[in-house]
Amino acid sequence: MKTKIFMGMAAVAFAAILAGCGKTPQTEIDATNAAIEAAKAAEADIYLPAEFAALQDKMNAVNTAVEEQKGKLLKKFTTVKEDLAAVTAEANQVAANVVAKKDEVKAQAQTLMNDIKAVVEENAKLLPKLPRGKEGAAVIEQIKADLGTVDTAVAEAQGLFDKGAFMDAYNKIKAASEKANALNTEIKEVLTKARIRF
Amino acid sequence: MRKHILLIGIITAFIASAGFFVFYPLPESPAAEVENARIKISEARRHNADTYSDSLFREAQSLYDSAMNTWRKENGRFLYSRNFDSVSFFANLAAQKAVEALSDSRTNTLSLSAETEQKISEVKETSEALARRFSHYPLAPGMRKNISRGEILITEARHAMEKGLVAEAYKKISEAGHLILPAYEYADSNLRNWFRSYHQWKEWADSTINISRNNGDYSIIVDKYSRKVIVYLNGEVQFTCRAELGKNWVGDKRMKGDNATPEGLYRVVRKYESDSTRYYKALLLNYPNEEDSALFEYSVRKGMLPRSASIGGLIEIHGNGGKGSDWTAGCIAVTNREMDTLFSIAGIGTPVTIVGSTKELRSVMIR
Repeated sequence: MKTKIFMGMAAVAFAAILAGCGKTPQTEIDATNAAIEAAKAAEADIYLPAEFAALQDKMNAVNTAVEEQKGKLLKKFTTVKEDLAAVTAEANQVAANVVAKKDEVKAQAQTLMNDIKAVVEENAKLLPKLPRGKEGAAVIEQIKADLGTVDTAVAEAQGLFDKGAFMDAYNKIKAASEKANALNTEIKEVLTKARIRF
Repeated sequence: MRKHILLIGIITAFIASAGFFVFYPLPESPAAEVENARIKISEARRHNADTYSDSLFREAQSLYDSAMNTWRKENGRFLYSRNFDSVSFFANLAAQKAVEALSDSRTNTLSLSAETEQKISEVKETSEALARRFSHYPLAPGMRKNISRGEILITEARHAMEKGLVAEAYKKISEAGHLILPAYEYADSNLRNWFRSYHQWKEWADSTINISRNNGDYSIIVDKYSRKVIVYLNGEVQFTCRAELGKNWVGDKRMKGDNATPEGLYRVVRKYESDSTRYYKALLLNYPNEEDSALFEYSVRKGMLPRSASIGGLIEIHGNGGKGSDWTAGCIAVTNREMDTLFSIAGIGTPVTIVGSTKELRSVMIR
């Protein structure tokens, strides 16, 4: 009987040596990858590109550590698991930060869009008051073309905004806003010089 | 006895195996090489090599992936039959490519940044020159729209540069250039072509002033580019006023309906009082003159104008001007007050010479 027990123990010990001491933490790896994918789906790569790149890099480092442990006779995934948990937490944080950042950009784009719409409306009202003197019709034609372009840019930005592409909308509206304000100043200067009330 | 032999055998086998596992050298792990490659790639990405050295960076990334895949595959094999040479090979190559990508990216970023800055400044300068020199030039609405779109793109490019997004700034400014430069080139070459007639204009203008001097009478010169009606008496300027021209005022009149103001040596052939014209008062010119008719017939014969085209007529200096735009169908409009002066000065036969410009191109271009 003693012999059998001893043989059994020897077999178990042998198997344990062969199998190694740890098992690849596949569940944790999958969970971390899923968290990173969720951050990407939230557009972390667009709104927080540096943070997202760092996240990917950390995951690569963990993958290296996993393979390193797999190559060892006595595997130990304790540190790897801790790292995976840290990366998962960071991915979740980045995803949450993206939401905040998106809201911030969305609000900025919305403000700019509201502002520009007011300026565009004012410009449209001022345009007929422009003196047809001095500068000539070509200048008025150019101002009209400029106003048209600003309108188009606003419409494009609105389209992007409605699609949820807040960053693109913000970038577009920012440039259009400068143009609209410059036109507003130009028109008002001409009107002031011509002593036309507006 | 047998049992003992079996037990001893098993123990011996176990000890031998354990000894083998403990003392037989495991294949060397490629972890250091892979980690090095990862760090190098990460550093390259941090310096935007994925944007500014795209192909080298992708190569590095792909080699890194190959290293990882091979490593995984080898780790799936029996401990002692693993071979990590390929893993190390891929990882080292990945690291090398990442270093190259980083260096390439730095160089590219610097040169692209300089190129973009230069392009922004060039396109901006062109846009400003367009506004300065051709603000009142007749450009097609589509072209005006392009100029306007281009100006917004210049701003977008500037914003992208401020954010360090050099590639995006370059893309934007290139697009702006494609919209603005052709408009400038069109206007510039159009103007230059038009000014090829300058010597002819100068001859006409000089002869008109001489006629005024020799006859001791009035002569009128209309300078289209500066939009001026200049009245001479005894060869000296007596009176100038602002002229408003045909909508399509650049170039000579070629046919009826082209909204161009003709260029040439004309005379007043008829004077219309207020009750005979809807333009306050008018001085009818002898357009088309012989030269105009000859040129028109030649153009039709050579197919440069449609056979159905007509040369037009009724070119006048008339009142109702002061709108500040070029609105006529080819006539020269002045304010009613100025028209009164011109009407009192001019008689039947008063020379009216219409020229593109009384000044050379270089002097009108320096603005």
